[in-house]
Amino acid sequence: MLGKIIRNQKLNDKYYLLEIKCEEFVREAKVGQFIMINTRHHDYTSDPLLRRPLGIANIDGDKFTLVYMVVGKGTRLLSEWQKGSDISFSAPLGNTFTPVKEQRTALLAGGIGIAPIFWLAKTLKEAGCIVDLYYGGRTADDVVLIEELKEITDHLIVTTNDGSAGIKGMVTEPFIDNIESYDTVYACGPKPMLRAVSEIAVKNELPVEVSLDERMACGLGACLGCIIYVKEGDEVVQKRCCVEGPVFDGSKVVWDTVCK
Amino acid sequence: MSDRLKTTFCGIEFKNPIITASGTFGYGLEYARHIDISRLGGISVKGISLHEVPGNPMPRIMETTSGMLNAIGLQNVGVDRFLKEKLPALRKHDTKIIVNFWGKTLEEYIEVAKILDDADVDMLEMNISCPNIKEGGIAFGTDPDMTLRVTSEVKNVLKNKPLMVKLSPNVTNIRVFAKACEEGGADAISAINTLLGMAINIHTKKPYISNVTGGLSGPAIKPVAVRMVHETFNTVKIPIMGIGGISTWEDIVEFSLVGASAMQVGTANFVDPQIPLDIIDGLDNYLANNKLSNLSDLTGTVDLNK
Repeated sequence: MLGKIIRNQKLNDKYYLLEIKCEEFVREAKVGQFIMINTRHHDYTSDPLLRRPLGIANIDGDKFTLVYMVVGKGTRLLSEWQKGSDISFSAPLGNTFTPVKEQRTALLAGGIGIAPIFWLAKTLKEAGCIVDLYYGGRTADDVVLIEELKEITDHLIVTTNDGSAGIKGMVTEPFIDNIESYDTVYACGPKPMLRAVSEIAVKNELPVEVSLDERMACGLGACLGCIIYVKEGDEVVQKRCCVEGPVFDGSKVVWDTVCK
Repeated sequence: MSDRLKTTFCGIEFKNPIITASGTFGYGLEYARHIDISRLGGISVKGISLHEVPGNPMPRIMETTSGMLNAIGLQNVGVDRFLKEKLPALRKHDTKIIVNFWGKTLEEYIEVAKILDDADVDMLEMNISCPNIKEGGIAFGTDPDMTLRVTSEVKNVLKNKPLMVKLSPNVTNIRVFAKACEEGGADAISAINTLLGMAINIHTKKPYISNVTGGLSGPAIKPVAVRMVHETFNTVKIPIMGIGGISTWEDIVEFSLVGASAMQVGTANFVDPQIPLDIIDGLDNYLANNKLSNLSDLTGTVDLNK
């Protein structure tokens, strides 16, 4: 698919917001899905070779939004794309979150994990849920779009490892304090955080969905590079993060194989 | 699409010479949602073995400069499930089906080949060159005597299907192996498989891939593949299917000049599933613009005069 860049806005030294116009994509996209996006703005190079997987952060009319962190060559190139350019990407990929209605929900995001959580928060809010978002980062630079998030959540609790924004500490700490207020938990962020959130949820008998991120070549289910091991009954089975994921039941993921 | 692209390879008529390479196209169906796979000349499916194989531990892939390393570990559903669960749906698409297969032992190679010989597929591609597991045929693909033996014994049991042998580039002299395939009765050669490589995370001092080494593919390996197809073409008379970093129609012409009669597109399918179709269109335009009646007019016509 091809879309027109409406804005590619620097949010801070690490984070960017990319808004793309593409009616076809928006029509198909569902909350929790991701995209494989081309980062090269010249066709005379084959480096970086592969497209980059990014979570869909929002849709609005005929536009969709991605939030990304500049971490390497691909995302740096992506940050250089200019407004008005046509950029190519895959159709919306992967499975979706299972949004509940009129429940008390806890959402946890770590760093760039905010991308799919943003759209999920909005979706849950529209479905009459109470939406509390626990949003953690290493420093103040890792928490973005605070004003926008305030509008689509009931409570926004920010934490940073160094205390440069919000509460100093891990994002799971204030969540545990309020755990009795919730019916359902959703999370996206670093794997150790998702493991911790899942274990807390399981201990408190709460359903938990996590959105996982694995290195991917195709994003279409062909390369078998993004395997997640999941419990099914007594068996451990392989799931492709790109097709059967990225959203998994956190109580079923074999975390020892995911967090190495 | 015109007759210009029609390609006869081992007696099979492909609508065009563009085949998607094993290991990069799943069982074909994964891509059917994204492109019209019936436009392809053919599909070489993910390497099939006698029994289901779970593959290597994660992480299995890493991007490198203009390429990628993989050590998937020949994960596949096994020949029975392939025939039952994958092939019928794939057969509904109007494209040729090449089944890539491998064994841990000579007996397994023969067993799988026999089963596939009676199945509704068009051609067999024998993998004797996967670098990622020690039983993945690499022992057969890096010892010329073993190459000759597995080729002739498999060929002996085949009654219906042409046999193409996929060569490893991880050898000093690919000509010796090409010759062994031809002597063993192979109907064609496909070349090359991935180049054995390695990449290290300098912060953790650990390899990026759990298998430590992996197979390098993508545009980074194309010059090696072109050289090896050239050497193979000068050594044997059987047709060659060129593989290695092909991403554009220009790459197809280049492989044709050094002697490939058909080509496989591999890692480019990961980059963008549209690429093989763009290659087909680009190639058709090229042939029309140069008033060539068929790509075969160019096969092996590289000009080496100084």
